Amino acid sequence: MSLTVDERWDLIDRISRETVTAGEYKETLTDVIGEITIRPMTGIPVVIASLYLFWSIFGSFAGFFTDGFFVKFFDQYWLPWWQSHFPNTWEWLYYIVVGDPLADNCLEAFGMLTSGLFVAVGIVLPAIFIFYLMLTLLEDIGYLPRLAVLMDTILHKIGLHGYAIVPTILSLGCNVPGVAATRILETRKERFVMMTLLAIFVPCGAQLGIMQQVIPETMGLVLLYLVIGYFATGFVLNRIIPGKSPEILMDVPPYQKPLLRNVALKIWMRMREFFTNAIPFVLLGVLMVNVLYLAGFIQWLSSTLSPLFVYWFGVPEATVGPLIAAFLRKDLAVAQLSVIEMTWYQMVTAVVLVSIYFPCLATFVMLLREGWTELLGSLAVLIVVVTVYGGFVHLVGILAGVA
Amino acid sequence: MRLGSVYFALLGAVTLACGFADLMISISGEYCSWWIVEVPGDMFRGGWGGLIVLFAGLFYISGARNIYEIHQLSKVMMGSILIWLIAGCDILARITESIPGGDEGWFNSMEGFLGGCAPPYFPAMLLLPFSLVVIYYIRKVE
Repeated sequence: MSLTVDERWDLIDRISRETVTAGEYKETLTDVIGEITIRPMTGIPVVIASLYLFWSIFGSFAGFFTDGFFVKFFDQYWLPWWQSHFPNTWEWLYYIVVGDPLADNCLEAFGMLTSGLFVAVGIVLPAIFIFYLMLTLLEDIGYLPRLAVLMDTILHKIGLHGYAIVPTILSLGCNVPGVAATRILETRKERFVMMTLLAIFVPCGAQLGIMQQVIPETMGLVLLYLVIGYFATGFVLNRIIPGKSPEILMDVPPYQKPLLRNVALKIWMRMREFFTNAIPFVLLGVLMVNVLYLAGFIQWLSSTLSPLFVYWFGVPEATVGPLIAAFLRKDLAVAQLSVIEMTWYQMVTAVVLVSIYFPCLATFVMLLREGWTELLGSLAVLIVVVTVYGGFVHLVGILAGVA
Repeated sequence: MRLGSVYFALLGAVTLACGFADLMISISGEYCSWWIVEVPGDMFRGGWGGLIVLFAGLFYISGARNIYEIHQLSKVMMGSILIWLIAGCDILARITESIPGGDEGWFNSMEGFLGGCAPPYFPAMLLLPFSLVVIYYIRKVE
């Protein structure tokens, strides 16, 4: 037996009349607060406040562990111990494992077991932990869907819809789950635009943690450049990439108390990723950069790319080395930049360049898993964006009289 | 009912003034301290945080009339939530800055810790106890 569409609807009506009883709805304070956080007029101040909460707690927590304890431990105990106990002071192995024998802090030493461990454990670990804790709390309270509703209009301007805020926020922790989360977007165009923007303009938690540590005063300007670049590039990509960006219906759940077990489980799963993927990558990154330095490759590349870096981007040619490291780990690259002598605006430009330069290896592999076409397309956009946007940042500096 | 409306209207006006002062002082880049109040001159706490205190004041003022009506009370509650959020961040920042010992050791001494937590305080921290009154009205409405 087959029913027509009208007959089906009639049947649904009949069944629902017989089975569903509508009770009286009484609005609660939680419901009204939920509405307030969705309406633009009242919701936008709440977004501004939530972001403040996020960054303030991020800064306090990461600063407490890094500045309060880890810097002291690594600089006063860990580094001197390795410097005095590792044999063959001037040998290549010493350079790779311990780093510069004259360095008096772990950021400058740049050895695998000194800077590598300091960056991974001393700086990135507290930053990543607090980031994921805050993200999980926002998720479990039920605020993220409301943020998606609020951002829907703005994100439509760049060919995405409100839920694109989820991969963006996830990428602020690590680009890898961010790229994986682009699968919640419906069309190929949306996924391509999102992946490209994540790979170029969204710094990961590790990078944010180290930026907070080495350039706290100018971090706001770096982030402002990245936000402008995110929207400007998205706007252009929306115009030139063929395809559709459909409307979606969003289900907004009521606010609820987060369950400790769920929060703990989510944080554990995300932190496990960090321990198994990020820490080996940081150590491997330091190893490879040191080997490339010892082989003279980075010095050769620096002199070859010098005109582009010095005249077009306005940064010292020594920044080529960190840019190579950025392909392995961007946090590592920012740490390397911090010991190069340059003006504050050159540092801002260099950190923006590190951020928008090639995605790190883990993200690169993730993009590859989404398909060759997507990867090559994203890389083509990236090369154009790095060249144009890097030059733009330099131009702004010249016009403002600081570059 | 009228008492509650007057209270939150006044609290709103004071909160609005504090937010405005935070913003103005952070724009000027100066640090300002008077009696038990200090206003930071940086763009993060003074500028961004000041803007949120200003929003909290606007929430209080817009919700102060007819406070027992659930939509009005929710605005007042949102004003208080914003104050709790800013003050909470300020308190956390003070505590985390006061615990490490700096050059003198791993942990700060008790005197050093208490000194770090002593006045002057940012405006949101001073507004915090006054913002808690909203809990009384929530209980009453529920």
